[in-house]
Amino acid sequence: MADKPQDTPNPPSRWRAFLVKSREYAPVWTLLALFLFFSVYSDSFLTWENMGNILNQVALLAIMGTGITFVLLTAQIDLSVSYMATLAGVVAAYYTAAHLPQPWPIVIALLVAAFLGWINGIGTAYLGIPSFMVTLAMSLIASGLSLWLTRGRILFDLPPLAETLGSGRIFGVKWLVIVAALTLLVGHLVLKYTRFGRYVYMTGANPKAAELAGVNTRAVITAVMVIAAVTAGLAGVVGIGRLGSATPTAFDGMLIDAIGAVVLGGTSLFGGVGGIPQTVVGLLILGVLRNGLDQVSVDIYMKTLITGIILLAALVFNILFAGRKEA
Amino acid sequence: METTAPLLELHDVSKRFGGIQALSGIDFDVRPGEVHALVGENGAGKSTMMKILAGVIPDYEGQMAWKGRPVRLRNPRHALGLGIAMIHQELSVMPELTVAENIFLGRQPLAGGVVDWRRMFREAAAILEELGFGHINVREPLERYPLGVHQLAEIARALTSGAELIIMDEPTSALSPMETQHLLELTRGLAASGKSVVYISHFLEEVTWVSDRVTVLRDGQKIATLDADQTNKEELVQLMLGKKAAFIEESYLHGRAVQDAHAGARPVLELEGLTRPRLFEDVSFQLHAGEILGIYGLIGSGHFELGEAIYGLLRPSSGRIRLGGAPLGHGPRRAIDRGVAYVPPSRRTGLFLEKPIYQNISLPWLAKISGFVPNVRKEIEVADQVTRRVGVRPPDPLKEVAFLSGGNQQKVAISRWLVEPPKVFVVSEPTRGMDVGAKEEVMKILRELSEAGVGVLLISSEPETVLAASERVLVMAKGRIVREFVGETVTKEQLLAAAAGEMATAATAR
Repeated sequence: MADKPQDTPNPPSRWRAFLVKSREYAPVWTLLALFLFFSVYSDSFLTWENMGNILNQVALLAIMGTGITFVLLTAQIDLSVSYMATLAGVVAAYYTAAHLPQPWPIVIALLVAAFLGWINGIGTAYLGIPSFMVTLAMSLIASGLSLWLTRGRILFDLPPLAETLGSGRIFGVKWLVIVAALTLLVGHLVLKYTRFGRYVYMTGANPKAAELAGVNTRAVITAVMVIAAVTAGLAGVVGIGRLGSATPTAFDGMLIDAIGAVVLGGTSLFGGVGGIPQTVVGLLILGVLRNGLDQVSVDIYMKTLITGIILLAALVFNILFAGRKEA
Repeated sequence: METTAPLLELHDVSKRFGGIQALSGIDFDVRPGEVHALVGENGAGKSTMMKILAGVIPDYEGQMAWKGRPVRLRNPRHALGLGIAMIHQELSVMPELTVAENIFLGRQPLAGGVVDWRRMFREAAAILEELGFGHINVREPLERYPLGVHQLAEIARALTSGAELIIMDEPTSALSPMETQHLLELTRGLAASGKSVVYISHFLEEVTWVSDRVTVLRDGQKIATLDADQTNKEELVQLMLGKKAAFIEESYLHGRAVQDAHAGARPVLELEGLTRPRLFEDVSFQLHAGEILGIYGLIGSGHFELGEAIYGLLRPSSGRIRLGGAPLGHGPRRAIDRGVAYVPPSRRTGLFLEKPIYQNISLPWLAKISGFVPNVRKEIEVADQVTRRVGVRPPDPLKEVAFLSGGNQQKVAISRWLVEPPKVFVVSEPTRGMDVGAKEEVMKILRELSEAGVGVLLISSEPETVLAASERVLVMAKGRIVREFVGETVTKEQLLAAAAGEMATAATAR
């Protein structure tokens, strides 16, 4: 129907309701289908140990994905998160090697990430640079700082806390998984049960309307960019603990997976729709897929291709059903 | 006019959208060389009928015949191929391209696979010359010309594509009076040269002037087809409205007495020399508590921007805004906290369509309704109260706004500001695109607010809207206040004349 408003109610048609529902539940069906598939076709997939492996494999992505969820909900994007993670890891290791007392290296690492995230936010919200441009530049800056600090070497002096959280266990559960779960939980509580969380959703749903309702949308966008940077920094800090070293390119490759997981879960690239539960589903899809492909005898060189195709399918789906925003 | 074989005929055409009968049993025909107007309220079925004529809606019941032969249009391209072109309400032009490119959009003359620019410019100039607009330089970007020329480019495009029937949907709604006059004359000229036009408009004077016959639709049914010279505005309004509320009829037909009931009272809002270059200049006025002050202007007069400036969305370059005697700071948050409410001219801008009603209403008040953690139950309760007060249907705060009709969406936009009664309420175009009943309901809310002591600033480009409620009317043109009506009877014609008169002098002053 044209833009011309007609004073007749728009009944929620069954077809439309079905589309909305499928959009919401498609990721869950995808996850279940993958899970069933691998359970049937592999003996080693459906074991307690392997389930633990999957969680462990997606833990870092989960920490990073929490922040990305905030960013996508405001209809922005952050392409610098993985480089921020690398940088935070490098900074933490660098100051540990410099014998700065603990936990200062970790605090500084997170502050550096927060500061760079703040610049991302200022550039996007106040200077009006598209977020993908600002964060693209920031990814080079973060990456450049990592290289400069390490002079290209690998750092082996790690904060003990990072080592514990990255590779330690408590009551048989990996700390890493606990940190990831807590990050997701806090993210969820903030988004669903705080005023700020509501502002995030409303800013993404219609930035102009949010501004008209007195929401400081620029501050909201700046805040989500800081949140994304800090969660990325946290991922970097615990990540070096898991790897046992900090390298200047340690987590750079996680970018696609981190954003992909969030989108796979069903959080809209156009803002306002989605959340942490969706991100959890997306993470599990990615985790099950990666892990499952290892368990069945698939050509190892096809793994990336298959993952890519599934990610593309999810994106297409996301775009198709985002059409309802225009309705 | 003698009876000739019709160019296009509809017989017993009906269309249903879900549970809504948009059109039922329509008989309609257009003769060669005729301007046939289609009038009716919003929702009467004009848009649906136009879309059937243009091939946008292929699945309707009933028959259509083109030049005596039965035809079923599959899509707009099919319609265009036969010779039916549509000029859209929202223009489909590319302002950055040249006038000529816009005329030949998608059909540029080619020479050896590349665009033959010389031929395109020549032919574009020829067609404009033919239409009486030879002074337009077809090599200039279209954006250098006013909206009237954009419309002209669309018409020229239709003609060069070989159209015999041109459907014009509200062609003059964004045009100045002079441009409107040109367009009307052009339309008559088209008819004289044998083309047929289906002319859809709200502006009944234009309709009776330009058309040969008028068909009136109401609630999806054809009420009458009349010879334009046998009817008049009053009769058309009667036919369009049927037995509906007398309210709008009155403001369509008669003047409205305005008086300054608040002379001497302390103003709640004062503007002093407010200026923002190219938008508005040296605007000063006072708004009193309990007053409804109308600001009328043609589109582009700066009156909507003035509303934005008062709400703190636009920073004026000079001048002062005082609320209750004290300067009003910048920004919507400040405005809200000081008791200024604002409803923007477009509902799409102001509402979150895919969010539930209660979230739309509570957003400005979240900090007050509940603390750090939003209390959803309380939000719903508050939303329920205010939406019941203004009569939002359905009265379900959990419903998404997108599911509401335009009028009810507007009521949601307004009801948000009843949570804490404002001191000043700036409403821009509150009843655009609504039916008579919904319009009256919205106006009633505004009147009740003013009776409760709220100063209402009613900004609109529809004279009826301003006249329906205002006690005093300011007319803006080219960013300035050009006329104030107080203590007299004002008619729609006077408003238009005040706004348009200034336009004419401003144009000649250049």
